[in-house]
Amino acid sequence: MLKYIVRRLILAIPVLLGVSVLAFLVISAAPGDFLDQYRLSPSISPEQIKVLERQFGFDKPIYVQYFKWLWEVLHGNFGYSFEYHVPVFNLIWRRLGATLLLSVFTMIFTWGIAIPLGIYAALHQYSPSDQGLSVFAFIGLSIPNFFFALLWLFMSAKTGWFPIGGIISLNHDELSMIGKIGDYLWHVVGPVVTLGTAGLAGQMRQMRGQLLDQLNQDYVIFARAKGMPEHNVIYTHAVRNAINPLITMFGYALSALLGGAVLTETVFGWPGMGRLVIEALTSQDLFLVMASLLLASIMLVLGNLSADLLLAWVDPRIRYRFR
Amino acid sequence: MKKLALLLVVLFAVGFAFAQEPEYLVTDYDGKPGGTLYLSTTQGPKTLNDSWAQETSSTDIIDIFLDALLDADLSGNPSGGGLAKDWWYSEDQKTVFFQIRDGLKWSDGEPFTIDDVVFTFKDIYFVEGMTANGPTGYVDSNDVLPEIEVVDDTTISFTWSTPSYWGFRAVAWTNILPEHKLGPAVENGTYQQAWTVDEIGEVVGMGPFIPVEYTEGTRVLLERNPHFYAVDKNGVKLPYLDRVIFQIVPDLNTELLKFEAGELDIYAPTAENFPRIAGQAEEKGWVVGTGGPVTGSSFVTINLGHQDPVKRSWFTNVHFRRALVYLLDRESIIETLYNGLGTPLYGPVPPSSGFYNPEIEEAFPYKYSIIRARLELRQGGFDWDNAGNLIDADGNRVEFNLSTNAGNNVREAIGNILVESASKVGMKINFRPMQFNTLVTQLTQPNYDAIVIGLTGGSDPGSGWNVWRLDGGLHFFNYSPELRPDTIDPETYKVYDWEKRIHEIYVESLGAFGEDRYDLFAEFQMLCAEYQPMIYTIAQNYLYAHPENVHLANPNPNPFAGQLWRMYGIWKD
Repeated sequence: MLKYIVRRLILAIPVLLGVSVLAFLVISAAPGDFLDQYRLSPSISPEQIKVLERQFGFDKPIYVQYFKWLWEVLHGNFGYSFEYHVPVFNLIWRRLGATLLLSVFTMIFTWGIAIPLGIYAALHQYSPSDQGLSVFAFIGLSIPNFFFALLWLFMSAKTGWFPIGGIISLNHDELSMIGKIGDYLWHVVGPVVTLGTAGLAGQMRQMRGQLLDQLNQDYVIFARAKGMPEHNVIYTHAVRNAINPLITMFGYALSALLGGAVLTETVFGWPGMGRLVIEALTSQDLFLVMASLLLASIMLVLGNLSADLLLAWVDPRIRYRFR
Repeated sequence: MKKLALLLVVLFAVGFAFAQEPEYLVTDYDGKPGGTLYLSTTQGPKTLNDSWAQETSSTDIIDIFLDALLDADLSGNPSGGGLAKDWWYSEDQKTVFFQIRDGLKWSDGEPFTIDDVVFTFKDIYFVEGMTANGPTGYVDSNDVLPEIEVVDDTTISFTWSTPSYWGFRAVAWTNILPEHKLGPAVENGTYQQAWTVDEIGEVVGMGPFIPVEYTEGTRVLLERNPHFYAVDKNGVKLPYLDRVIFQIVPDLNTELLKFEAGELDIYAPTAENFPRIAGQAEEKGWVVGTGGPVTGSSFVTINLGHQDPVKRSWFTNVHFRRALVYLLDRESIIETLYNGLGTPLYGPVPPSSGFYNPEIEEAFPYKYSIIRARLELRQGGFDWDNAGNLIDADGNRVEFNLSTNAGNNVREAIGNILVESASKVGMKINFRPMQFNTLVTQLTQPNYDAIVIGLTGGSDPGSGWNVWRLDGGLHFFNYSPELRPDTIDPETYKVYDWEKRIHEIYVESLGAFGEDRYDLFAEFQMLCAEYQPMIYTIAQNYLYAHPENVHLANPNPNPFAGQLWRMYGIWKD
């Protein structure tokens, strides 16, 4: 098994290299560069723009810029952000906590609700409660996140039940340790519900469909015929078989943990990765964009790998070996 | 041993008796100390390094903890009340002297001396490559940087080769940096990476509040500077407030909800929200008001140096440009976009500026008028074909492209309204908003027909030098072939008399003071009104709101001196 993991990780290296070349090319092919905002500043002269172009290295051809970047990356230096003048991973690091807080809770919320509800809906196919759940899930799916977030904030402002955005209260410093943790949790509810309700429908319908498929299989009929308790039929056999595709989906979800959610973050004023990356993209802060893309690719590789490992663990029919 | 101790005590006592009280700035505020001021900002600071910060999210905070030799008055001009106690000119006006307040301390308790001032200019701002803006802003009309001379312990002089108002203004408003903190970074060549957001605990300043903590994407906490140099009329040390907290609220709707819930002490409503805020003001106990038009302007620039001879012949035709001025229905843009809370602009200087020349309104009364637009077009040799399409003297159909950066709804509205009214005179404009960077490339190349864009400005029109000088980097309506050898053909390049005169005005203005300065810019506005190289559109009015228990230091918030003007005088009950 260990050998398999090592092999997968080695195979990831050319993938990441390819991603970096493509990303660098695409970003450089986009019109303009980071200095465009300087070019439109009434107080910066044309000569100064030339000085800055030299300082930021934009006067060199793209392939020189790329290899210089790659050389630095191989030495563990991912470059400085043009805008913040700090190493890019410092910036990403600073956003990590809030991003994970939001995405992990969203994941628990979505999966924790979607799977039981999906199972329930499959077992009560076409009943009013099944229909009701579908309607509920699709409403969640179809309301745009930013709008749902605004509705949530409006509700919070009117009732005072939840904070109006942000990640901490004004009096956060005066709270005890437990109080501080509670404060974070109180603030994370809004964004989690917003993102969670949007993701609910997909997983729930997937679970329902998969389980229904399994319930119509011969082995289920056989199990029932031989008098196995219904509970065992469903949870030990049918659900276990139905869960495979969801594990693959779970792998993808893992890779999105560090992605952030721009619109929801913006409305709630949540200091997540999404806003950092979108700001870097619009200002063409090259190295910051590159770092975040690489990070996303690494997460995708790891997410896929862990999904495959989970599958092998859950499903005894799957075995990985070398050929 | 005892004797020695006694001697030390006596020495200390004598030392204290002779140590002079620092030369504080005495103000006439009469407030109550204590409390926290809650503010909002749409983005966190990118850096706290004043030389590399470019956007207001950073400079708003930097300008609180750093201070300059001079302050700005309510109309946005240099005034006393900064680190300099006094300033004066030599007789030939080439030299300006600043005398700094004696005995002041940086926020970490280190003494503030004339060496810090020398360091700020000699080692940083006058050195190529040390700052984002470069030293250009400090030069006189001969392109020369001033000589610095330390006259005595508290006096420093800057001498230009010719009288230089613009250089004086730049020097007076440059935030002074601490040598004891930044000196090592300058020596090591790591100044650009100094005072980043990672180092927020390191910064020291002379301003009223010092940033002590930045929670990424969440809030910036500033604490009172115990060594700040001003006192109120009762001798109470300023600032009044203990802390200032900037909450980062990226979404404008969320900001509105937060203000309504009482979580913000100062709010700049959008024009869209303003009626809602004003409607609740009495019930909620808010002070709400408006100032004049803001200085950031939106305008339509037309490419006079177009490479296509047909389009060039239209664009360089002054009647064609004037027709466009008449075609832009500014009032209805203000109604639709700003709830009526805007001001139409007919020139580069907004009416709220002290440099505004009201005579242009009488000399060139450009109001929205289709009839006048038709008259101008007729005068310019244009005509209409049988289908009512506008054609030029050679029979070419008048049709051109207009662009702006997609996503800016003000500029998009300006474009759409212009397209619609142009169609009423048979002129066809294809309006295509595009991505910002693409637009900048087209604008600075230049290869465009017409673009709606905006630039930041100030109360003094001198800040537009990069746009109006012939060699300016943003002289996009008629770049010289020297600056843009790839796109501008020297054969077709033409400098217009008015354009040249504007260039001269800008060169002269560098050294023009007082009346002379006003007159120069009055002439500049007249030329712009007559020849319309850029068609100015509208500006939103400055809007403000704050609860009654927040007492501002500014009696009259306006675009040049906002609600946070002289923050050390703000207090809360």
